[in-house]
Amino acid sequence: MSTPILQARNVTKSYPGVKALDNVNLTLMPGEIHALLGENGAGKSTLIKYLTGVHQADSGTLLIGGEERNFANPSDSTAAGVGVVHQERNVIREFTVAENIVLSRTPKKCGFIDWKKVNSEAARCLALMDLDIDPGTPISSLSSAQIQLVEIARALYTETKVLLLDEPTASISDAEAAKLFKVIHRLKADGAAILFVSHKLDEVYAHCDTVSVLRDGKTVLSDAALADHPQDEIVNVMVGRSLASLVTPERTVDSTQEPVLELRNVTTTAGHGGISLQVRPGEILGLYGLVGAGRTELAHAILGRERITEGELLVNGHTAKIRSVRDALHEHGIGYVTESRKEEGVFLDQNITRNVAATTWGKLAGPLGVVGAGRERELVAKYIDELSIKVSSQDQLAGQLSGGNQQKVSLAKWLAADPRILIIDEPTIGIDVRTKRSFYELIWGLAEKGLAILLISSDLAEMITLADRIVVMDSFTLAGTVDNTHHYDTMSQDVIRLIHAKALV
Amino acid sequence: MKFKLPATMGSQYLVLIATIVLGAILLGVSSGGNFFGPVSMQTFFQFLAVPILIGLAQMITLAVGQLNLAIGAIGGVAACLAAVMVADWGFNPWLGGLVALVVGAVAGIANGILVVVTKINGFIVTLATMTVLLGVQYALVNTRTISADNWKSVAALGKASWFGLPAIFVIAIIVAVMVGLAFKFTTTGRHLLASGDNEHAATLAGISNDRSLTIAHGASGLIAGFAGFISFTSLPGVNQSVGGDWLLSSFAAPIIGGVSLTGGTVAVFGTVLAAFVVRLVDSARAEFQLAPAWVNLVIGAVILGTVALGRLRETRETAKAGMLRARVANHRINAAAVENTAAEEVKL
Amino acid sequence: MTHAASPAGAEKRRQGINFRRYLTSPQSFLVLIILVLVGVIGAAKPNAFNGAFVVAPLLTSIAIFTIVGLAQMMVLSIGQMNIAVGNMAAFGAMFTGMAFDLWDMPFLVGLLVGLVAGSIIGGLTGWIIARTGVNSFIVTLAMSFALLGLVPTVYSMLSPGSAFTSKPDGMEFLGRGTFLDVCMVGYCGPAAIPVMVVPVLIVVLFVGGLYARTKLGREILLTGANIKAAELSAIPTNKRVVLVHAISGALAAFAGILLATSTGSFTPAIGNEFMLQSFLGPILGGTLLAGGYISVTGTFLGITLALLIRRGLELFGAGVEMLNIFLGLILLVALSAERIRTVRRRRPVEVPAETPPDTPSEKEAIPSGASA
Repeated sequence: MSTPILQARNVTKSYPGVKALDNVNLTLMPGEIHALLGENGAGKSTLIKYLTGVHQADSGTLLIGGEERNFANPSDSTAAGVGVVHQERNVIREFTVAENIVLSRTPKKCGFIDWKKVNSEAARCLALMDLDIDPGTPISSLSSAQIQLVEIARALYTETKVLLLDEPTASISDAEAAKLFKVIHRLKADGAAILFVSHKLDEVYAHCDTVSVLRDGKTVLSDAALADHPQDEIVNVMVGRSLASLVTPERTVDSTQEPVLELRNVTTTAGHGGISLQVRPGEILGLYGLVGAGRTELAHAILGRERITEGELLVNGHTAKIRSVRDALHEHGIGYVTESRKEEGVFLDQNITRNVAATTWGKLAGPLGVVGAGRERELVAKYIDELSIKVSSQDQLAGQLSGGNQQKVSLAKWLAADPRILIIDEPTIGIDVRTKRSFYELIWGLAEKGLAILLISSDLAEMITLADRIVVMDSFTLAGTVDNTHHYDTMSQDVIRLIHAKALV
Repeated sequence: MKFKLPATMGSQYLVLIATIVLGAILLGVSSGGNFFGPVSMQTFFQFLAVPILIGLAQMITLAVGQLNLAIGAIGGVAACLAAVMVADWGFNPWLGGLVALVVGAVAGIANGILVVVTKINGFIVTLATMTVLLGVQYALVNTRTISADNWKSVAALGKASWFGLPAIFVIAIIVAVMVGLAFKFTTTGRHLLASGDNEHAATLAGISNDRSLTIAHGASGLIAGFAGFISFTSLPGVNQSVGGDWLLSSFAAPIIGGVSLTGGTVAVFGTVLAAFVVRLVDSARAEFQLAPAWVNLVIGAVILGTVALGRLRETRETAKAGMLRARVANHRINAAAVENTAAEEVKL
Repeated sequence: MTHAASPAGAEKRRQGINFRRYLTSPQSFLVLIILVLVGVIGAAKPNAFNGAFVVAPLLTSIAIFTIVGLAQMMVLSIGQMNIAVGNMAAFGAMFTGMAFDLWDMPFLVGLLVGLVAGSIIGGLTGWIIARTGVNSFIVTLAMSFALLGLVPTVYSMLSPGSAFTSKPDGMEFLGRGTFLDVCMVGYCGPAAIPVMVVPVLIVVLFVGGLYARTKLGREILLTGANIKAAELSAIPTNKRVVLVHAISGALAAFAGILLATSTGSFTPAIGNEFMLQSFLGPILGGTLLAGGYISVTGTFLGITLALLIRRGLELFGAGVEMLNIFLGLILLVALSAERIRTVRRRRPVEVPAETPPDTPSEKEAIPSGASA
């Protein structure tokens, strides 16, 4: 057996209060495609950041080609032949495609940048990826998917013995993914090792040789041959605690009731066309789609942050002109639990009271706009209790809470405002399984009370668990609707088919 | 290598050039041609050197997403120290000039190190160092004006003329060209821009942002010191007011020239052109015998107009992108509908 | 006195007297330094605290500059800055001067005219920032250019000596009067306390109350803490930005008018010294540049400290240059302290696996305006 190209042994990395990586082991052999699987927050991205010198571990060893190495920063790992494409896009938007590709080692002649070589080198990398992009184009003019492909080309610029790909296919089309796999197989044939992180198990089974699974920062399956482990088993290993204990309530939606929120053939400034949907009181309508399908943008259009140029938005059967989030809440009773809680959902540097009460001051304020501190705290205490938010006191800063509790604070803020329609955008990203479940119960409870809920999520399992109906979006249009039968397999096939049928047009 | 300008930037340069040409013609006509006379032209370019230099000094800090309020104070201290060294302590005038540059670079690097080490907002760091340096400048010269007669050999440079243009203007242009080349052809220059554009991505590409910040502040200080040296050579005397009015104009040139405050861009040519525009406004003011205050009023309005227009263009572009997407979306729906009806018709 | 109107301040209050926290707060540290300074100056120059000649002028300038500090603090509270604070002071004062000199208005009416002018120019600035989304630094810088041009031009057009010198009834009393002039049933107040202290105190209480007790103040702080999250929480952020700049403009104008009443004439030079001081006070006092946290008491203490140092240096015969060097260094030290405090505030107690605190979400190097 040959020496592994990359081997990580007993890697542990802690953040205050939590172990992000706990004795993780990973071995990459030359000429293999190795799948790294795990739920959101299992530690996959943290491991990749350790392997590329972005983070340092508390303990553990890293061997490259059998030699012990310690990457202090990303350039060390590049020099050692470890190429990487991170999950999020990392480019210099003011630079051209070519310069972004060669940035880590710009070709020089007599101490000055050799622009001719920059472009030819970049063209070479782009050709490897079969990409028809002029190296001289400003990278800001490319789409997010194209930028991702350029980043993969960039990883090929330096001599790459190991290529780490963190969810490379999450936001690119099937045709582009096919190109990517062609390159991966070529690299494999040349003896490189590829670490492939993906949530799409079909892809994994089609292309990978070996597999490792992370759960809560621990390696629960290490360097196993993929052929030995069928898909069901892998899923069980990933999830660990089975979601079976979650009792799905019997839900019925009174379809005779008039919809509280309705879109009729809406075109928006964000780029939506022909969107029609209805949400009834007590109904959970799922809005599913891949990243970039325009779901959050549609929520923003309903809230008046994007304008509706054609078609109609109806609230309670009346045409509504909504100009701002404030309008949406105060005039029409629409609340919006935002997608990214850290940037938009909570005020990290403010205390819980301020965070939850933010939407209610209008109601609490007396003459001269004076807010009674007592009434404010009472109200907030009620929601802390109701949502069982774990806080040491109301004066704790929101930034000091865990992700799940932050998300509850964000939800509490909207419940305090007493809306009739609630748009909930990606509520459980990066939240552990237990909190997730309590969230599901909360959302069911809200629907039970008669709230109309528009749920946006990219987690199909979550959609099928929660939603009464699922509307599938693709490229800013509706691809179709799937009624919830709670049969995961058939439903997911229906949904995927809808997305793909549209993509072919 | 072709110098291809992005379309938007090219149009901005065109606007600036058109403004300059038009302004110059108007001034020429209204002054009965006097504006284009040798004396008038000589003064015009003579007083263009410092605005160009301080604009460049500010532009370099803006490139990394920082700003430098201490440019005037650095230049003032550099000029005053050189003057005191020569006049009071009997040093060689050229050595004094060299010290001015060194002082500028040292002060700039100090700014950079403070920003990097304390992680404090660059605005406040340079506000603080500006205050300190103003104190130092005052301590150096008090209320005196040290006459340029003390350094006649250096002052000759300030009056010299190369290729029919004032030497100091030519020097400023040479500095501008060097800065431009450094940002285009050296990795250090590109790294400054990368750090200014996206710190995280720059780190991942192995670029040290701390190094970029220190170098940018250092270079900015050096050029500010150079502007101090130019004042030292060209002014009839040096006193505590040198550099006092540089703060606002140092921002005016790069901002009007198209440099963004968020970092990642430079526009050397634009900055130089904008300095021309500012200088023209000043000449017009002199021509029409208005109070000096008018210049500030006009420049304030121009800055506001420039940034507001840039912003407007941005929003319009996003709106256009949205409209395009909506059209594609609607088109797809219609196409699908046509197909469906076609299929149904076939069935029938 | 109004307390730090912020979550951290509230936290302090609720947890009773937590001595360690209390003693390490920037405000108590400032009080300590001020006391030491007063002690040192008093011991070295026993006659330094002569009421009418030293204390009264010192209190007058503390009163004026506290207002200047508050004008800046308001804008800092939304995470922006106002470079034109001095020019807005000059602009507002100019209108009051015109009201007295050209339109013969009574004192209070003229004062009101100036305040309205200040709030209009501030509101306009805020409107431009909110409307265009351009960084507040640039907009206020441009505004400062514009006013720097406009104000002297108007003065030179309207008054021969580039100054308005009419003094309606009441101006002298407010600007130079002390409580010695306020007599009731035969007793007069101390000569050490200027009359100006009273309106300034009212304004200070008003600003403190705004932040501590009202809906508006809370919404302003949240706008500063995170403008996008605030907008998505149904807070009308654009209106708050305009409002804050309008109040800032009015406060700046008020400070300018007070300065004019104390010197006796309205000139274009009013406000020249305001910019540095306006940042010094709030920042020394613990107001965060990033927005979302303010301290009215701290702003007052910061201003007091800066002016006390100035007075001390004068008493010891040191030059203006030393003052600048001192203030600059103090600013750097104070900011390093702020830095440490911010890091401490942001340190999470419990960090879940999915949110490693490694990505520094520090605000931009330049406190941005309503950046998209």
